[in-house]
Amino acid sequence: MTPQGIDLPQGTLDLLLLRTLALGPQHGWAISERVQQMSSDVLRIQQGSLYPALHRLERRGLIKARWGTSENNRRAKYYELSKNGRRQLEVEKDAWEKLTTAVAQVLGTAQEVRNA
Amino acid sequence: MLSDLMFRLRSLFRRSAVENELDEELRFHLERQVEKHVRAGLTREESMRQTRLEFGGLGRVKEDCRESRGITFLATMAQDIRYALRQLRRTPGFTITVLLTLALGIGANAAIFTLVNSVLLKSLPVTDATTLVRLGDENDCCVDDGPKGNGDYTLFSTNTYQELKKKVPEFAELAAMQAGFGYRPIIARREGGQAAARSVMGEFVSGNYFRTFGLQPQAGRLLIDADDVQGAPMTAVMSYEAWKHEFAGDAAVVGSTFWVNTKPVTVVGIAPKGFYGDRMSSTPPEFYLPIESMPVLANVPYVHDHDTSWLYIVGRVKPGVAMAPLQQKISGLVRQAFAPSKNFSSKEGKESLARTHVVLTPGGAGIEELQKEYAFHLHLLMWIASLVLLIACANIANLLLVRDMGRRAEMSMRTALGATAGRVVRQLLTESLLLAGMGGIAGLAVAYAGARMLLMLAFPGARNVTIDASPSLTIIGFACGLSLVTGVLFGVAPAWVAAQAKPADALRSGTRTAATGASLLQRGLVVLQAALSLVLLVGAGLFSQSLSKLQNTELKLDAKNRYIVHINPQAAGYTETQLEALYRTMEERFHALPGVMKVGIATYTPMEDNNWSNGVQVQGQADSSDGSSFVKGNAEYFDSVGTHVVMGRGFGPQDTSTAPAVAVVNRTFVKNLFKDGSNPVGRRIGPPGPKSSGDFEIVGVVEDTVYTAVQWKNHNMYFIPLMQRFPSDPDPIEKDTSLYAGAIVLQTERPMNDMEQLAQKTLAGINPNLTVVKFQTFDQQIADRFTEERMIARLTILFGALALLLATIGLYGVSAYSVERRTPEIGIRMALGAERGGVIAMVMRGAIVQTAVGLTIGIPVALLCVRFVKAQLYEISNVDARVMAGAIATLAAAACIAAIIPARRAASIDPVQAMRSE
Repeated sequence: MTPQGIDLPQGTLDLLLLRTLALGPQHGWAISERVQQMSSDVLRIQQGSLYPALHRLERRGLIKARWGTSENNRRAKYYELSKNGRRQLEVEKDAWEKLTTAVAQVLGTAQEVRNA
Repeated sequence: MLSDLMFRLRSLFRRSAVENELDEELRFHLERQVEKHVRAGLTREESMRQTRLEFGGLGRVKEDCRESRGITFLATMAQDIRYALRQLRRTPGFTITVLLTLALGIGANAAIFTLVNSVLLKSLPVTDATTLVRLGDENDCCVDDGPKGNGDYTLFSTNTYQELKKKVPEFAELAAMQAGFGYRPIIARREGGQAAARSVMGEFVSGNYFRTFGLQPQAGRLLIDADDVQGAPMTAVMSYEAWKHEFAGDAAVVGSTFWVNTKPVTVVGIAPKGFYGDRMSSTPPEFYLPIESMPVLANVPYVHDHDTSWLYIVGRVKPGVAMAPLQQKISGLVRQAFAPSKNFSSKEGKESLARTHVVLTPGGAGIEELQKEYAFHLHLLMWIASLVLLIACANIANLLLVRDMGRRAEMSMRTALGATAGRVVRQLLTESLLLAGMGGIAGLAVAYAGARMLLMLAFPGARNVTIDASPSLTIIGFACGLSLVTGVLFGVAPAWVAAQAKPADALRSGTRTAATGASLLQRGLVVLQAALSLVLLVGAGLFSQSLSKLQNTELKLDAKNRYIVHINPQAAGYTETQLEALYRTMEERFHALPGVMKVGIATYTPMEDNNWSNGVQVQGQADSSDGSSFVKGNAEYFDSVGTHVVMGRGFGPQDTSTAPAVAVVNRTFVKNLFKDGSNPVGRRIGPPGPKSSGDFEIVGVVEDTVYTAVQWKNHNMYFIPLMQRFPSDPDPIEKDTSLYAGAIVLQTERPMNDMEQLAQKTLAGINPNLTVVKFQTFDQQIADRFTEERMIARLTILFGALALLLATIGLYGVSAYSVERRTPEIGIRMALGAERGGVIAMVMRGAIVQTAVGLTIGIPVALLCVRFVKAQLYEISNVDARVMAGAIATLAAAACIAAIIPARRAASIDPVQAMRSE
C-alpha cells in the first residue's frame, strides 16, 4: 500500500495542471503521472477529478487541446498552455507564493510564541 | 465570452462527437494505467480493479466533464422545456385556464395601454416635436369675438398672429391653423373626374405650416409663404391618406385642378405619409389650404377681422430660449394687439385687457383637444384594467398554488431520488416561464384585437382614425414583463418552499393528512378577487345606470321618421343674397317627394355638436348679462323636429327677410329673463344695448327641446326666422354668415330607407355642388351624442364580467382543490353516516364564507370609489341600492355556481373507494 497522501486544497489543482503543462504539451495520463512525480507522491489526486479540471481549463481558454500520437503510437488528446494560460500561471503562482509565505510566517510566529 | 459560448454550443450541438472524444480520452487513460500496474507485476484483473478504484465512477467523471464543458446547462434547459410541455399537455384544464386568464388579463391591460400610449403619450409625427410650443392652454374652439372672462387666450385673430410672427424672434417658425375646420367641411371635386363632389375636411393653415413641423413632401411640394398671400394662385396640399384611398396614389393628382367650394385650386403636393395634421381626430383634413385663400374659398368675413379669433398658433422655439420670459413677452404683445379694438375700450374692456395673457404649453402633441376629452376616461379604464389584472394575477397565483400542492409528493419523490432543491425549482421555473410566455403572446393577440375594438367603440364609423392601434415594442415589453413577474412570483415561490421540505416528511404527509384544505393564502386570494370584482361590478352598474339615465332623458322632441340632412350652401358657392330663393326651392323640391310631410331648414338641430350663442337683454329691463343660444329656422322647423309651441305662435311663411323681426323663446328663457312672471309674448329682446335689445318681438314660447347635449340642461334659447337678420347688425348682408343653413330636417309618413339617395338626388337636382355633408336619421344623431358614455358603460360591463369570470374560476379552483384533498376525509364522514346534503353544505359553506368576506371588504371600497367617478356620472352621486344589490346578487350567484360543481362531486364520493384510495 502506498502511504496516505495529502488531500489537495481547493483550487490548487488548476495551478498544478498549468505548471505541469508549462513544461510542454502532454496527454491526461502523463499529466497525472507527472503531478504525482513532481510532488514526490505526497499529493493525492483522484485521477477522475483530473479530467473535469482539464475540460474546465480548456473552456476558460487557458489550455488548448489537440489530438496527437502518443509515445506508444496511440491516438491521445494532448493539452498545451495557451498564451492566456501562461499569464494565468504567473498570476496564480505569485498569489500562491504570497499565501504560503504569509501562512508560514503566521505559523512560525505562533511557534515562537509557544516556545517563549 | 464569445469563445466560451462557442465552446458550449459545440458541446451541445456536436454532442455525439464530443461524447466520443471524451470516451476515447478516458479509455486511453484507463488503458495506460492498467498497463502501468501490469508492468509493476499485478495480474491483468488485479490491475483493472486497482485502476477503477483510483479513477472513481466512470459515469460520474463523465458527468463532471460534461458539466465542466457547459453542456449540462443548455441540455437540461431543453430537457426542462420538453418536460414542462409534457406536463402542461397532461393537465389541459389547468393550462387552458391559466392561458386564458393571462391572455385576458394582459390583453385587456395592453389594449388600454396601447390606447393610452397612442392617444395621451404620442407626439405628432414631425421633426423634433420637443421644441414645438403651443400658444394657449384652453380648449376654446372655432370662432370667437369679444373679450374672454378669465383673460386666458388660446384663439387668435389673423392680425394678432402676424404681429407675433413679426415681433417674436425667439421662434424659428410660428405657424397658425384654423381651429374649427372640423365644423366647416369643404366641398371638393377633381376636374375632369367622374366622381361627384365630396364634402371633406379642409384645414386653412399659414404658409409656413409644414416648414414649422419640419416635413418633407411625399410628392410635389408643400405649402410655402408665397402661397399664403392675398391674390396668389390658389393652391392646396393633399393628405397622403386621401391621395392613397380616394385617388389610388395617382401621380397625376399633383399639379391637377380641384374645384374646392366651386373655385379652382391647384394641388401642388402630397403631405408625407403618416402626417395627420396638427391634432388627433377621427376626421383629419384631406386638404391643407393657405389662410389667405379662405375669404375666397370659404366666403367667411372674419379672416381679416381684427376682432375675430379663429386661429391656433404653434411655434418652434430656437434652442436655449427660456419659456417664462417668452410667455411674458407674448402676453404683452397680445395685449398690445388687442388694445386698439373697440372691445377693449370700455371700462370693463380695459380691465379685461389687463387680465389678458397667454400660457405657453408643449406643442409636440399638437392641438390636444381629443387628448383632453378622453384623458379622464382613459385613465379610468386604465385603473379598471389594472384591477382586472390584479384579479387575473390572484387567479394565476391560486391555480399555481393548487397545482404545486398537488405535485408536492412528486417533488418530494424527486428530491428523495437525489434532485437538488435548485434543480426542482428550475424545473418549476421553466414551466412557469413557459406558461407566462405563451400567455404573454396570447395576451398580445387579445391586446391587438382589443385596441381595435376600443377604437371602434370610441369612434364609430370613422374611416381613417389617426390613432395607431398596433401594440408598440413598449407594450410588448410591458405585457411580457407582467406575465413573467406573475409566473415567477407564484410559480416558483411555492416551489422553493416545497423543495426546502424534508423529502421524508413530505412523502409521509403527502397522502395521509386528514384535511389540509386550501391554505390561508389561497383563501385570501379568493377573498381579494371577490372584493375587487364587486368594485368593478358596482362600477359597471353605475356607468350603465348613468347611460340609461342619459338616454332616457325626455328630450322634448320627436325623432320618429325624421331624417337630418346636413348641407353647406356656402361651400356650394351661394352668396347670402341667393339664399332665400334657395331655401324656397329646397322646401318645394323636398315637399314634392312622396311621403315627406315636413321640411325644416335650420342653422343646426337638436342634439347636435353645435351651438351659436350671444348676449341677450329684454328691452326695458336692466342688462342681466344673460347669454342665450339661438337657432335660425324656417316655417316648418319646429314641427319637423317635434318641438311643441306652448304659447303664442311658431314661425310661418310670412316671416320673410322683409317681414318684422320676430323671435320665439324657450321656457327656460322665460323663466330666467321674465322672473316677474309677466307675459313674454309681445316683449322685445336682442343683444345687450338700449337699441339692439329691441331687435326682435317675441311671438311665441316653445318647450325646452334639448340642444347640444343632455348634460347641458335647460339653457336659454331663442329662435329667429331663417332669413331674418339682427336689425341692429351694422354689417352688410354679405358679411352675415348666420344666414347659411346647416341642416334640413325631413319628417316622413313612414320609415324611408332610400331617404339618403333621395336627398342626394334632390339636392343635386337643385345644384350639383349642393352635396350631402352628412346624412343621419334623427335617432342616429341622438345616439351619436352618447358615444363616449356608451363606450365607458360597455367597457365597464365588459371588465366587470371579466373580473367576475376570473373570480368564479378562482373560487372554483380553490373549492375543487379542497374537495380533492379532502376526498378521504369526506369518504370517512359519509361512511359514518353523513348525508349528501350535509356534504354539499359543508363545501358550499367554504365558498360562501369567502365570498361574504370579499363582499364585506368590497362594499365599503366600492362606496369609496364612487367619489372618484362621480363627476363622470349623470345625475348619480351615490351608489343606488339597486346597483349594489344587483352587483352582490351577481357575485353571489357566480360564487354558488363555482362551488356547486365541486360540492356535488364531493357528495358523489363513494366512501369505500375513497378510503381504499389511501
